[in-house]
Amino acid sequence: MSKFNPEQRFIVTGASSGIGESVAILLNGLGASVVAVARNAERLEAMRAKCAHPENVFIELKDLAEDAGGLPAYLKSLKDKYGKFQGFAYCAGALEVKPLQLLAYSEMSKLFDVNYFAPVMMAKGFADRRINNGAGSAGVVISSIASFVSARAMATYSGSKAALAASIKSAAREMAGAGVRLNLLSPTDIDTPMAKMDPPAALREANYPFGLGKPEDVANFVAFLLSADARWITAQNYIIDCASF
Amino acid sequence: MTKDEFLTQLQDVLQRDDAVNQGDTLADYDEWDSLSKMAVMAFFDKNFGIKVTLNEIGKLQTVEDLIKLAKL
Repeated sequence: MSKFNPEQRFIVTGASSGIGESVAILLNGLGASVVAVARNAERLEAMRAKCAHPENVFIELKDLAEDAGGLPAYLKSLKDKYGKFQGFAYCAGALEVKPLQLLAYSEMSKLFDVNYFAPVMMAKGFADRRINNGAGSAGVVISSIASFVSARAMATYSGSKAALAASIKSAAREMAGAGVRLNLLSPTDIDTPMAKMDPPAALREANYPFGLGKPEDVANFVAFLLSADARWITAQNYIIDCASF
Repeated sequence: MTKDEFLTQLQDVLQRDDAVNQGDTLADYDEWDSLSKMAVMAFFDKNFGIKVTLNEIGKLQTVEDLIKLAKL
């Protein structure tokens, strides 16, 4: 089954590891062209080496958080280089586990740059009619279960993901008029490099009857939401989980 | 702002691939929807200090009308 063709280009951010890497490999395997964005060239090359059609994977180095305000212009430059985009998957993000007494405004602000401002500016850039393919184009933004459920030491992270979900849904309503779709996915505990943190995986796993999630578990849902099969779905935020809470 | 600059910036505000010309009828643009009208309102406020309502913008028929509104 091939859902996409090489003329359908997708921007995948955070494509060098974890969910983003898995999304890039899957979309490419399903026939699409992928513009893979991340900071680390070596890991992007390693990702491309795992792709079924590496000739349709294009590597772009970029620190999204450092230039959140410039992302609409950045998307325009990518469009000038590659052509219009069928969609994007924003999979870049950072996790911060900090109790209240350790919260520092400067660090909170930095986390918001990558988890909130950058994806919202990405959506803004993609909404431009000169950037996307029009009706049928779609974006997926990775949020987190933290956008639904609170946990200790997650004030900043939860806040950034909940704010993200709210803003992306608003953006989706604006884009709906043009037939462009925008959705969020909120996974619980996916075993990625980003989630390598205390408590250790063994302890985390106790809550998950099917074990921790794999990046592919999220990537499959991303590919569905970006495909024509999801034509009736927009402005939604889906939890991906296996009875962990 | 010159007329040419105005037309270029309007093209950007409307997110149009094609150029915006003085004689064009706004209703002929696919891009001329309620969100674009709001963007044009903000554009007039920011660049010319002119506050117009959505209703007033909706009554304008041509690009020429917008140029007149900007007093260019």
